[in-house]
Amino acid sequence: MMNFQKTTRLSGAVAIAGIAALLISGCTRDAGGTGNGGGAGGGTEASPGITDDSLSLGISSPLSGPTAGPGSCTVAGLYTYLEAKNADGGFEFGDGKTRSVDLTYLDDAYDPAKAVSNFRQLVNEEVFAYVGALGTPTNAAIMPIADEEEVPQVLLITGATAFSEDQAANPWTYGLLPTYYDEGFAFGELLAGAGEPVTVATLAQNDDFGEDYLAGFEAAIEGSDVEVVGSATYEPSDTTLNPQVTELAATQADALLSAVSVTPLQVGVLTRAQSVGWLPRVFLPSNTSTPGTIIEPGAGGAYPALYSTSLTKTPVSPAVAEDEDVIAYNEAFKQYGSTITTTYTPHCVWSYIEGAILEEAFKGMEEPTRDSFMEALKSIQGFEAPLLLDGITVDTTRDDQPAIDGIELVQFNGTGYAPVESY
Amino acid sequence: MDKIFANRWLRLAALAVFAVLLIVAPLVSSRFINYQLSMIAVFAVALLGLNIVMGYTGQVSLGQSAFLGLGAYIAAYGVRNEWNLVLVLLLCAIIPAAVGMLVALAAARLRGLALAMITIALPIIGIPLARRFSEFTGGSQGTTVSFLGAPDWSGLANDQWQYYVVLTIAVVAFVLARNLVRGRVGRAFAIVKENESVALAMGVSPYRYKVLAFTISSLLGGVAGFMYLAIVQFTSPETMNFFTSINLVAAMVIGGSASIVGTILGAIYYVLVPVVAGQVNSSRTALISGAILLAVLFLLPRGLVSLPRRMSLLIGGTRRRGASPRDDQNSPDGASTADPGTPETPTAHEERQAR
Repeated sequence: MMNFQKTTRLSGAVAIAGIAALLISGCTRDAGGTGNGGGAGGGTEASPGITDDSLSLGISSPLSGPTAGPGSCTVAGLYTYLEAKNADGGFEFGDGKTRSVDLTYLDDAYDPAKAVSNFRQLVNEEVFAYVGALGTPTNAAIMPIADEEEVPQVLLITGATAFSEDQAANPWTYGLLPTYYDEGFAFGELLAGAGEPVTVATLAQNDDFGEDYLAGFEAAIEGSDVEVVGSATYEPSDTTLNPQVTELAATQADALLSAVSVTPLQVGVLTRAQSVGWLPRVFLPSNTSTPGTIIEPGAGGAYPALYSTSLTKTPVSPAVAEDEDVIAYNEAFKQYGSTITTTYTPHCVWSYIEGAILEEAFKGMEEPTRDSFMEALKSIQGFEAPLLLDGITVDTTRDDQPAIDGIELVQFNGTGYAPVESY
Repeated sequence: MDKIFANRWLRLAALAVFAVLLIVAPLVSSRFINYQLSMIAVFAVALLGLNIVMGYTGQVSLGQSAFLGLGAYIAAYGVRNEWNLVLVLLLCAIIPAAVGMLVALAAARLRGLALAMITIALPIIGIPLARRFSEFTGGSQGTTVSFLGAPDWSGLANDQWQYYVVLTIAVVAFVLARNLVRGRVGRAFAIVKENESVALAMGVSPYRYKVLAFTISSLLGGVAGFMYLAIVQFTSPETMNFFTSINLVAAMVIGGSASIVGTILGAIYYVLVPVVAGQVNSSRTALISGAILLAVLFLLPRGLVSLPRRMSLLIGGTRRRGASPRDDQNSPDGASTADPGTPETPTAHEERQAR
């Protein structure tokens, strides 16, 4: 009796495992088959994922977990642009055809292993290109596979330099945003151009992200009258930065480079510094500078100046509510993007701009192939994408820089940000 | 006796079919499928380690992802410096085992939640360490390696070759672990789990066996880290993420605590549920995964491994209800006696017998 029970259980479990294995392979083969059917309709030697009237894109971003907010926005903005354009008749391609572009999005929860899994799944389902994914580790894990499979992995939403600096080595990978280095550099330039000696304290995350900010900043102030009089670091897992801020406050520096990327910690920096009587000019990184979530809770109005960097108009800000692009964005987002997320982060706008850059690339794409797409994508110059600030353009021809060229230093004016005139 | 023999043959036949499936599958499947199958093998080994310390020995461990990450980093470092791969694999086993033993030497003096707290510290310390020592780890951007390509003579694609390598490691790990938990050490683990005082009275030192279970668990975690790197070819501090540990514990419970087959089912669950959830609705993966988790825990409180028995109980429920109460108390196999009408609350003793 006992042996019988044992055996049935074991063989039963084995059988289930076997059935499960069969089911998965069965399911996906089906999916692959449909993809094949779709791809076969294209012209001569078309790449997978493109037919005479459609093209499919894929993205894997964190849609759950701690980074779900920005991650959802990287999908929502792009989805908004694509769907609005599809509803408007579709995208015009360089080969004279008009195609509708659809987007398949998957959740990787910021886990590199899941991102690779999703990438392989998307390739298996025959997406034409992998676009706009958020996250440095997740994209880094995918980069060699994209190269091996020769699938475009482009316009990535990350500030890391690794995805654009060596395009000969990684011809299928390309970043979208200016790097953290550029942000640090822009602030350094402002101080260096102040025309008077300035003392600065720096506070940065203790890893390569923080180092990128500092490296950019230090490169910009080299040989100037700017002196770093105090520096401190923190861990993203820290619950408070009060000790660091108190220590830096002792320097009474004129300016503070607060390269803190964790929202509650950045708020804490603003409240703490003023409570110990230190009121420097503060630089906030672009991802922790939103008035509603950082400056208001942190009572940032007390400081003589708050700087940040920006690329785009902020559609949620009343200051630009009358702007043509902003109206178009807000209307389209309400209709399409809000089905994915309703919380605004700058990533929504970035990925919307990414849609416009893709459209520009499609226009230059003369053959329905991935090679032709990459060539077209890498030859855009001086393109003024909607929502980009004046003076910032898309230039994909530089072989060591991401797509968006330029970054604007902005200053908080009580309600939103405006361009900085001088120190 | 004939019946037992016949069933043994049945079992062997089932195993053979399973083995053939495992061997043939990568040859006919896409890279995506092979990646999923390989990841199942990777996490099966990580879960096996967890199951030895939690399922078999009854000690809570929330630090398995730290050993997974440690193994992956050691492998990445070895591969970058072009060390012999066998040596790298050995180091991936030995170093995490040594770290695990060191931690356990201190931690195994504690019990229950206190022990869980100590093990939580591992991924929490591990992530900043991995970020800080960027010359070894590549910092928060992680490190990409390219190794274990298919040799020319095999005629296989890289993904197929990598699959066979991790499958081989996994099979060896499972055979060894199976023998371990069925032998003297396994019985010692079981008695430590059931009652430490009884264990002590029987001459089994709970402390020593807890340390041993932790060491083996970390060793398997490290080996899984090597396999992880072989398949993903990338590692970053995210690999050590505390949530990975939590999800591994959940997967182990879902698969079946203290069960070899349950470990494999747990790994299948761990890898496939996010994929399935993504197919349903990518924006709601966490919600769907949670719903599946709850459903399994409600319907199969002893894990997926109890599914066949649960079904046979449901089907044969009326027939068995006639069994005499005496059988219910004395049968050595808890499985044959559970009344389908009552909640299953087996003692650890029964559970051990059942596996």
